[in-house]
Amino acid sequence: MSGPEAAGNGPLIHRRYVFGLLLRLCVTFAGGVGILFVILYFALSRPLPGDYAGVFHALRNLSPFLRPILAVSVLVYALLACGSTSALCVYILHKVAGPLYRMELVLDQYRSGAPTRTVSFRSGDQIQPLAQAFNLWIGTLRRDRQRWLATMKDAERHCLQDEATCRAEMEEALRKVAEDMARYH
Amino acid sequence: MRNSALQPPRSRIRYVSPRFQGPAVLAFAAIIATGGAIFWKLVDSEFQRVFLHTAIRGHYAFDSAYDIVRDLLARHLAGLFVGVFLTGSVLVLLLVAATRHGIGKAVDSLRASADGDLSTPTGTGPIGEFDRFGKKIDAARSDTLASVLKIRSEAAALAAGGISPEEFRLRWDELKQRIRRIAP
Repeated sequence: MSGPEAAGNGPLIHRRYVFGLLLRLCVTFAGGVGILFVILYFALSRPLPGDYAGVFHALRNLSPFLRPILAVSVLVYALLACGSTSALCVYILHKVAGPLYRMELVLDQYRSGAPTRTVSFRSGDQIQPLAQAFNLWIGTLRRDRQRWLATMKDAERHCLQDEATCRAEMEEALRKVAEDMARYH
Repeated sequence: MRNSALQPPRSRIRYVSPRFQGPAVLAFAAIIATGGAIFWKLVDSEFQRVFLHTAIRGHYAFDSAYDIVRDLLARHLAGLFVGVFLTGSVLVLLLVAATRHGIGKAVDSLRASADGDLSTPTGTGPIGEFDRFGKKIDAARSDTLASVLKIRSEAAALAAGGISPEEFRLRWDELKQRIRRIAP
């Protein structure tokens, strides 16, 4: 099948987008772990005292000394990872949240009775079939509307003849329109 | 000269949708915080055990504390990365599945609307943002159906006859106006 219907059957969320998100998450988490490693490396890599007793006492006292360093480094990791992941979520998920927001505006506009334009999302946005399905629905409604108006206009042409023919044609047109509208349920 | 009054208003781009992105950000933050807390708990107890054990054992053939815990630290850091990344990946896949399900239902509903079905609920599911969106679509479909049914019953009433020519003409024009208001 070709044309808009085929385009409307595209994936809601592209596999590439999901892989891109996973890859960025991987890089973000790896960066966070890397920072955690660097902090702990600098805390642990200080040379121990040269003599035997000095090393013994240093090792005995290392655990209580390391505890706050460990806590702070984990906190720094958590803050950095959370910050960068939040930024990533806002940037990447915007490709879904943006079109949803736009569709909500269009639906509100449609319900208020204001003229509705064809919806198109930005390139790179996901959930494209949503816009295509909405356009298909509005397009069908507009075609039906034009057909109903054309049927009524056609009946009005007979008003150039006598009154009875005009009325009969108008009533016939109304029956046609009502019959046509029956498909909506 | 270009008249700015004739330009269509540019829609404002909103990058943050707290209802959609907010829960995802919170879920990722919870995963990272949980991973960090588990890492801290495990590494802290391991460090205490390893340093004490090394101090008692003697034979200090190392230059720094890092040389003692290098493998242990590498193992736990790898565990932290794998754990957080795998859980995050599962969350991403769940988000994608929820989006596919919710928006898929909305797309199906709009396609069904094009075929004339304006009454079957969209059924986007219980997830907040999609549920709200599905209700918006249902409201738009419901408005359209109400409008079409009203026009249809009016058309049928007019077609039934028994109305004076003046009133018929008046209601005919009104009906045309109502039809024009469908999907403006």
